[in-house]
Amino acid sequence: MPITTTRRRLLAGSAAALALPAFARAQGAVKPRLTAISQWSAGSDGAAITALGKKFEEKGGVWQHSPVPGFTTEMMNKLRAQIIAGDPPACSQLKGPEIAAWSKIAPTVDLDALVAAAGYEKVVAPDLAKLHRPAGKWIALPLQIYSTNMLFLSKRAMDKAKADKVPVTWAEFNDLAEKMKSGGVAYPIANGGTRPDDGQKFEAALAGISPAVYRTAIMNLDEKALKAPEIKAAFAQVRKIADWMDPNVGAQHFSTNLKRFVDGDMGMMIMGGWAQGVLRNAGFKFEDFMIAPGPSDNGKPVFLLNADAFIFWQRKEADLQAGQTLMAQLVMDPAIQTMYSQITGSIPVRTDVDLSGEGWSDGQRRTAAALKDAIASNQAVLSLAHNMAQENGMTAAMIDVITEYVKNKTIKPEQAATRLAEAVESAR
Amino acid sequence: MIRRLPEILTIWVPLLLSAAHLIAFTLWTIWISFTPSTLVPVTGWVGLRNYSSVAASRNWQIAFDNLLLFGSAFVLLSLATGLILAILLDQRIRGENVLRSIFLYPLAVSFVVTGTVWSWLLNPGLGIQKLVHDLGWTSFRFDWLIDRDMAIWTIVIAAIWQSSGFAMALFLAGLRSVDADLIKAAQIDGAGPVRMYRRVILPTLWPITITVIVIQLQFAISTFDLVRALTNGGPGIATQLPALVVYDLMFQRSLLGRGAAAAVLMLLILLAVLLPYAAWRYLQRRRAIHA
Repeated sequence: MPITTTRRRLLAGSAAALALPAFARAQGAVKPRLTAISQWSAGSDGAAITALGKKFEEKGGVWQHSPVPGFTTEMMNKLRAQIIAGDPPACSQLKGPEIAAWSKIAPTVDLDALVAAAGYEKVVAPDLAKLHRPAGKWIALPLQIYSTNMLFLSKRAMDKAKADKVPVTWAEFNDLAEKMKSGGVAYPIANGGTRPDDGQKFEAALAGISPAVYRTAIMNLDEKALKAPEIKAAFAQVRKIADWMDPNVGAQHFSTNLKRFVDGDMGMMIMGGWAQGVLRNAGFKFEDFMIAPGPSDNGKPVFLLNADAFIFWQRKEADLQAGQTLMAQLVMDPAIQTMYSQITGSIPVRTDVDLSGEGWSDGQRRTAAALKDAIASNQAVLSLAHNMAQENGMTAAMIDVITEYVKNKTIKPEQAATRLAEAVESAR
Repeated sequence: MIRRLPEILTIWVPLLLSAAHLIAFTLWTIWISFTPSTLVPVTGWVGLRNYSSVAASRNWQIAFDNLLLFGSAFVLLSLATGLILAILLDQRIRGENVLRSIFLYPLAVSFVVTGTVWSWLLNPGLGIQKLVHDLGWTSFRFDWLIDRDMAIWTIVIAAIWQSSGFAMALFLAGLRSVDADLIKAAQIDGAGPVRMYRRVILPTLWPITITVIVIQLQFAISTFDLVRALTNGGPGIATQLPALVVYDLMFQRSLLGRGAAAAVLMLLILLAVLLPYAAWRYLQRRRAIHA
């Protein structure tokens, strides 16, 4: 009879269909595969992620990384397109509060079990950890850390100023800048003219004056804190810094000035730890400059955190899921973090990695020590200029005020403070 | 039907496709501008909220003022430069072909390249000002690029350099097509060269002038790559232009709804230029038919 045949066929068919994946799983035939996108295509960033891919392949995985060169926003445009098309990468670069924002538009992978197995939570700075489990569950993993407020000192400019002491507070910093100026250093501050450059000067100033106000005003957007006198003081410090900069930089990148900085034509640079890699790549020696934590008025280091991370997007394919597990394990592995940071010049996310050995620079050791101290004294805060403290829209609104203030010397510090509070209100 | 196939394939299919594209995406952008979309497009209705917040933002106000200044200065100056170049070239001089190519050549360079090159030339620490200082005139100042009030003029300079050759080419074609009898008649009547240009030749250039103005204006309104490469909206936010604001809102700040609203506002500005032009063309054609 036709009906029974059909039914029998159907049964046989469905049994086979059910058995097949189970069989495959039992055989361990799934080869981990990872589709990943990031903006890291060239230089030390490209080299580092390629090295990570090699490790992934050594563990038997298939590494499918598609870099989107350019700004982070370009990478985000590709991510957006893939998510809308229903085909997100298994893993993508994303950082800061954007992790929370983006996790609302597509399902992410729950990494809690993997994080617990690796004991990762204990070795990550608390504020940083929070960003990677926005709704309570880990969905993203930080990979490397930079501080955005490292102080780079030109040895030759120090010689001109007849100074050898690294400034600890803003007052000492200002003294040194004056000494450099009278010692013949044309511009005591080396700086680029981009928006993050200007933003970094402000965040370094405010966090150095009061990490507590930085936390309440910039990270928590507390209305009262935004009107605190410390904000005005920070803008006043930024004005001093701006007056010591070369006004001719226009919208150039900070790296344009590195030679003049090393030559002692410019004295100090407040920049992220990545500048060490850029200086080294440009052929300058460790003897040419010094690195120290940025000025802090209470004498204890303040660490403005900037951390790159990977977020994991839900996929149904068994091989991609296996790839996500492998990738997560690799990213949390201290050996991998060591390899990665040694290539890029950052420091590992794990606070338990020993940096005393070969392959680490003094600057990296000092950065890692600063992070440890800052966490201990609750002075590790999230960078505004590098999109760690707020979502992109809010960040941009605040940086608008800061960058205009740096370039327009007729704006008074109190006016800037009012405008900052207004910008926050209208961007909420 | 078969005989008309090439015509259908070469004209109608591409035309329909691009028209559908244009209209569909324009409508879609208009729709998005009324939704609360941020990271990705979502449905919902917020009325004019995106428009009011864009119009109230400092960035947009600066961009709009800059557009008025940049648009009018750029169009008038490139028109004048183009016309003068065309009249000078029209004097049957030697090497006209070479000069014409030189003046037209900047048009072959992309705006990003123009912007980058001029950003170095205009940088006071590296470019023209430094050259003059090195030559010995140390009090010379030309630092518009880093001067908030003057920076918008650097964009005008670079844009004129880029596109006055285009205006020149159109004007030259116009000058060459003036009826020779008309010129001869004027000569017989004893008109000198200045009078000849003012009274006889230039009035025939009106249609070309209008065309050049409209083309340059729509370029001015949609300027993006030039200013991005030259000043990137700086110093601070002093040289913002509407297209920069749209890009910034959509892709830097992930505020699709507001970005779309700014894009629609840009479209309205464009229409304010193009609709009168279309009306003018229509009237002219009617007059030509009735005459």
